[in-house]
Amino acid sequence: MISTKILSLVTFIYFAAFVFYLFRMTLGRDSWGRLATYTAFTGLLAQTIALIWRWKVSYDLGIGHAPLSNFYESLVFFSWTIVFLYLIMERQLKNRSLGVFILPVSFLLMAFASISPDISSRIDPLIPALQSNWLTSHVLTCFMGYAAFTVAFGLGIMYFLKIAAAGKKGKMIAGFIHLLPDVDVADELMYQSAALGFVFLTLGIMTGSVWAHYAWGSYWSWDPKETWSLITWLIYALMLHTRHVRGWRGKRMALLSIIGFACVLFTYLGVNYLAGLHSYLKT
Amino acid sequence: MINNKSRVWSFFSSVRLAIALLVIIVLVAIVGTIVPQRNAADLVASQLPSGLFSFLQTIQVFDLYHSVLFFLLLGLLFVNLIVCSINRFPHAWRQFRFKFSPENPDIFRGISEDAVISTEQNEKVVAGIAATAIKSRFRGYLNQRTAEGLYLYGDKGRFSYFGVYAVHLSILVLIVGVVIGSLFGIEGQVNIGEGQIANKIDLRDKDQALLLPFAVRCDRFTIEFYENGAPKTYRSDLTFLKNDQVAAQGQVLVNHPLSFEGLRFYQSSYGLTSDGKASLSLFKNGKKSQDISVGLGETFVLPGKEGKVQVLRVEENLMNMGQAVKLSVASARGETVFWVFRHIDKIREMNPGIIEQIPMFNPGLFHPYVFVVSDVQEKYYTGLQVSKDPGLPVVAAAAFLMFVGLMLVFFSSHRQVWLRVDVQAEGTRISIAGRSNKDAVGLQRDMKNIIAQIKRKLESSQ
Repeated sequence: MISTKILSLVTFIYFAAFVFYLFRMTLGRDSWGRLATYTAFTGLLAQTIALIWRWKVSYDLGIGHAPLSNFYESLVFFSWTIVFLYLIMERQLKNRSLGVFILPVSFLLMAFASISPDISSRIDPLIPALQSNWLTSHVLTCFMGYAAFTVAFGLGIMYFLKIAAAGKKGKMIAGFIHLLPDVDVADELMYQSAALGFVFLTLGIMTGSVWAHYAWGSYWSWDPKETWSLITWLIYALMLHTRHVRGWRGKRMALLSIIGFACVLFTYLGVNYLAGLHSYLKT
Repeated sequence: MINNKSRVWSFFSSVRLAIALLVIIVLVAIVGTIVPQRNAADLVASQLPSGLFSFLQTIQVFDLYHSVLFFLLLGLLFVNLIVCSINRFPHAWRQFRFKFSPENPDIFRGISEDAVISTEQNEKVVAGIAATAIKSRFRGYLNQRTAEGLYLYGDKGRFSYFGVYAVHLSILVLIVGVVIGSLFGIEGQVNIGEGQIANKIDLRDKDQALLLPFAVRCDRFTIEFYENGAPKTYRSDLTFLKNDQVAAQGQVLVNHPLSFEGLRFYQSSYGLTSDGKASLSLFKNGKKSQDISVGLGETFVLPGKEGKVQVLRVEENLMNMGQAVKLSVASARGETVFWVFRHIDKIREMNPGIIEQIPMFNPGLFHPYVFVVSDVQEKYYTGLQVSKDPGLPVVAAAAFLMFVGLMLVFFSSHRQVWLRVDVQAEGTRISIAGRSNKDAVGLQRDMKNIIAQIKRKLESSQ
């Protein structure tokens, strides 16, 4: 299938973009940065085309559903939302240093989707449980949330790197660290990303509840994925509260954004190893 | 007494309590996803020492999300939220109601050069243009003339002070909705064979059935498959009967439940069940004497008139040993009851001596006859989940309130601008200053737009 081939190519494009962002950071020349942005943008464009193509093919096959219906498609879409969100942020911030931390996540997701033998890239018709108008809005909102949390995670890693390297000497490290945004800026961005993710995750849980109400007869069943999405929601709620009410900043926020992201990953991948109602994501 | 009261109050009004509660709820929720819950707990029952298992069961580890501990945590969070809100809301209310004075000379100290416009236009024209510019971007508008000049004031987004309270209130409403649902809701399950009628459902949490004020008939159950073998549709055609009269008809599909008299019916499972009809063969002294079709409850007389046979049960899968029919033979010897398995040969092969151990499994228990089941007719049954949740509208209202609250918290801010118009020797001067409770960037954008608009108007009015 052409779309699958394009998507495997996108894996390499994102890897290249990551390498270019890294060159920008270590070699210090901004032309690498521009190249990295163009490469990431090309990858996003190709990925968008491939997703739309997949959508079209599913209609040609008479199946007709958005490319958000199985594990393969969710991995591809997750990586798409991350790059999409990142490029918007890069444009607004006019700072390319975050790319080194974000692009590898997108690359790894795509690589996992393309290489893992257990993940089928076929376009299959929807089983009855997935035949719902809520599928698209639920998956869309959840993954926008995940993507925003990924950005917050990247900023958290960056934050720790910046304070760890603060005392270190060496031209390359100094140059790298110098290009990173100030800790205050990173802290503010981390908060904003987490807040954006929180709003989207809330919407994701709400749309999921409405869907569950129609499909499973109950808006909440304590299915492991539901429970873990609630755990993730509570962790980020904690993060927002400790910041606003107790004035936590910097290191603590960075730590929470990393813990939160671990919960996101477990909500997304980990629960597949627990029994539950979301089982169609296993294949 | 007062001291005690204030101590309790300050305990519940602390944010530390809220944070501690959230952390504990998270931990409990995690345990609940690792330890098998409810029905799944039966699987670990055999692997644990029975004493340990019953101890864990007593402390509700296997039903954590409905345990006393969990409700206690939710209750504490509930009180904590209320007390915190009562403590803090008056402050937000004051901020919301506060009448800002248009006159605020201090705020103009140290404003940048960009925020000052000088023009040769007279004060009246300038004031008109400035007022229009503020009103075009801000909802609230006030003005005041002082000795220093004319002050204009605009603000918007006062409701943003309420965002946090809306979100917290939505959590309270949500908890209320959940409690209403768990107290007055119904969750049950019923299997109905094609053509059969059910008027009661098995309740999920209790070991009892609920009699419905109506009856449900499954007219037909349909499964369709895709070419790749994956299921495409599960559909039940249902008829609701009230006093034996058809009251409603409809189809239930996955994702498309059906409502009748406040109860919602969901397609949740299906399976095969016996139709109550079976084909039997009778052997007498090793020779086939008769083939006969029987139905549940029917009776027939043995060919040699030795007795009367009644069909007690017709099962499509008895104890995982396949199709079976339970017969009772009434004769001069008394009553002989036994099971006839369709695959008795295989069962005997796998469990040698079973007939000797359990005479009731012997198809030849009534000499000299041996019974053989050649077929049990099967049909589909549909598994319907039945539920009623009076807390649903409350939960929906909570979701809406939470959404509105989050929008106010994250995407709105109280923005205020002050304009001073004062007459200088060479013309009129406009100074602009602003303040926002959270969105400095948005305020900057608003101010830039106002400045641009004023400049544009001033130029065109010359």
